[in-house]
Amino acid sequence: MAALASSSSSLLFTSPSSKLPSPSLYPLPRLSLPTSSFLSSSLSTSPSSLSYPTASRRHSASSFTVRAAAAGKKKVLIVNTNSGGHAVIGFYFAKQLLGSGHEVTIFTVGDEGSDKMKKPPFNRFSEITSAGGKTVWGDPADVGTVVAGATFDVVLDNNGKDLDSVRPVIDWAKSAGAKQFLFISSAGIYKPTDQPPHVEGDVVKADAGHVGVEKYIAEVFSSWAIFRPQYMIGSGNNKDCEEWFFDRIVRNRPVPIPGSGMQLTNIAHVRDLSSMLTLAVEKSEAASSNIFNCVSDRAVTLDGMARLCAKAAGLPVEIVHYDPKAIGIDAKKAFPFRNMHFYAEPRAAKDILGWEGTTNLAEDLKERFEEYVKIGRDTKPMKFEIDDKILEALKVAVAV
Amino acid sequence: MAKLVVLQPTKQPPISLLSSSLSHFNGTKLCQIQYKRKVCQPKGALHVAASSTKKILIMGGTRFIGVFMSRLLVKEGHQVTLFTRGKAPVTQQLPGESDSDYSDFKSKILHLKGDRQDFEFVKSSLSAEGFDVVYDINGREAVEVEPILEALPNLEQFIYCSSAGVYLKSDILPHCEVDAVDPKSRHKGKLNTESLLEKSGVNWTSLRPVYIYGPLNYNPVEEWFFHRLKAGRPIPIPNSGVQITQLGHVKDLATAFVRVLGNEKASKQVFNISGDKYVTFDGLAKACAKAGGFPEPEIVHYNPKEFDFGKKKAFPFRDQHFFASVEKAKHVLGLKPEFDLVEGLTDSYNLDFGRGTYRKEADFSTDDMILNKTFALQS
Repeated sequence: MAALASSSSSLLFTSPSSKLPSPSLYPLPRLSLPTSSFLSSSLSTSPSSLSYPTASRRHSASSFTVRAAAAGKKKVLIVNTNSGGHAVIGFYFAKQLLGSGHEVTIFTVGDEGSDKMKKPPFNRFSEITSAGGKTVWGDPADVGTVVAGATFDVVLDNNGKDLDSVRPVIDWAKSAGAKQFLFISSAGIYKPTDQPPHVEGDVVKADAGHVGVEKYIAEVFSSWAIFRPQYMIGSGNNKDCEEWFFDRIVRNRPVPIPGSGMQLTNIAHVRDLSSMLTLAVEKSEAASSNIFNCVSDRAVTLDGMARLCAKAAGLPVEIVHYDPKAIGIDAKKAFPFRNMHFYAEPRAAKDILGWEGTTNLAEDLKERFEEYVKIGRDTKPMKFEIDDKILEALKVAVAV
Repeated sequence: MAKLVVLQPTKQPPISLLSSSLSHFNGTKLCQIQYKRKVCQPKGALHVAASSTKKILIMGGTRFIGVFMSRLLVKEGHQVTLFTRGKAPVTQQLPGESDSDYSDFKSKILHLKGDRQDFEFVKSSLSAEGFDVVYDINGREAVEVEPILEALPNLEQFIYCSSAGVYLKSDILPHCEVDAVDPKSRHKGKLNTESLLEKSGVNWTSLRPVYIYGPLNYNPVEEWFFHRLKAGRPIPIPNSGVQITQLGHVKDLATAFVRVLGNEKASKQVFNISGDKYVTFDGLAKACAKAGGFPEPEIVHYNPKEFDFGKKKAFPFRDQHFFASVEKAKHVLGLKPEFDLVEGLTDSYNLDFGRGTYRKEADFSTDDMILNKTFALQS
């Protein structure tokens, strides 16, 4: 039976202004993210230390570290993309594994000296090496050579989006004796539906590159797990997420959101993705042959995300809706989230791994905003060409 | 004053070993038996206690949920009494129900005729009868529940039909049982009742359905769509049509009510009960069409602010996202809804609207206001 059985009665009367799930009623540990030491020190204890101490919804997994020991020390290879939203997943996962006592090598695609490596999370790889992890670079097609004959129990591909890029890794991993193969796929492969949420087992787009990879993994490995994420936030992120909203809010600019603003999406703190992956490693048998939506357990509307970012910044927000087609705007370029319901739930992780989500956007965005200001991005000069185009078409005034 | 009408001689309540009335018995032997029974139960099993016959009272039970729920309870061998004013027939044969099943049910169900707003009568009649378990499926205010609790101090379980309408509106969804509730909502009576139950110390369980649908639905949920589909009319849907709602089949809800009976895991717990998946307004229109074998509907979106519909409701759902996670019931009670949306709507159509029965006459006046304006603009 999964964790929820321990729920105590949960009738909560709160003031109407509170829109938060119950964690807001409990004192929260202050997670001071920006300092690099935080991640390595807090992740060295059980992941449950990162979860909010609520009785009813969050199961206090005090046995996490016991499980890690019981599962045995694993040697894990992470093949990590060198850019994009998923890059940060490998970073957190590496650190969490190292904190739990496993051996980790993170293989980043490309050259160590490339400009891409000057961006987060790559410019913080010292946090991995200081925790005992190895970092290597190269072409995934030559993975065997790059890791110089090392063997691994677990291989995670957090890089390829199609069979061409992942097959060499899968084939090598199999021949090199890895027992478990993990793959970061994407919840974007689900076929759009008018009956959300996307649940593991739902129909996927047959022509999606990731689908071919998922199928091939299942053919080659007996112990495998596939993870389908959506969006994530967290220090060390390689791609903007919440920053898009902060950029406009701190400059007192309207936030243009396509459509009704009611579209639901899923924005998780990357620590939730990392904890799910770690559970899959430590409970490999339970995880085997399963697909997991790698998302937080709550969705948020696009308007809601704008409001939460504004609240985190302690500033007002003006949301402006527009029809991209009507004004000739490519919504993909204008807005960082899909202009539709894009909403998966992490049911398999909860059912099968006993995973619990800890993402609390209201609190997590406060820390993100603190870092946003600390790095000086709030005063950085910026252009908003597409926004201006949209606002012009809608005849909306912009504060100069 | 309402009369107490009992159709069958009253039986002595059976000795339920796990009931609170055990405290009246001094015999240590009984305690040992109780302990042994508990230990012998396989982990996760559906409680031996639930199969012992209970004397059950249902407040209501002749209209929708109770019609299905009471049948399940009677089939399980419980003695079931319905407390109603008697305005509706105490029993009605369900569409698709065999004559023998119906007569069996009819011969066993009991009726306690009364007005639950007459608190004195509620207290005296319930006290005189004595019941092990009360299902309150038509209660709206806490004051209505007080006389029941007063009348039955040894009540084993009070099972309440609450509503997901108690949740505070949020940008973050789905609504989960731990989430904030809205003390100012239209359903605050339900909240106050849950609160009363918690404070009273009684063993309570509260189920929060979202929108209930199925044959005999008196709330024009699916019926609203079916009327328009049958008439070959466009379906007017407010705003974008991407608002997400959720429907739960009445039979799944009835099953949930039975599942929590005598279930320790349900003690003092709240559960959302509804369908496994949610649906957009546009999607619901399409699903209803599929269920009734109609062609894909023409959907017309409109801005409700541009109209004054007076007291009439132009659309049967709240114009917002409104859906709740049913994962807790799944994990804790092993409850998985049987019907998916199209299956459930098909069941409703085949057993009700599709047979020519419905509760409310079609009223297309608000539709015409919308369509006239929309097509006037287009022409």
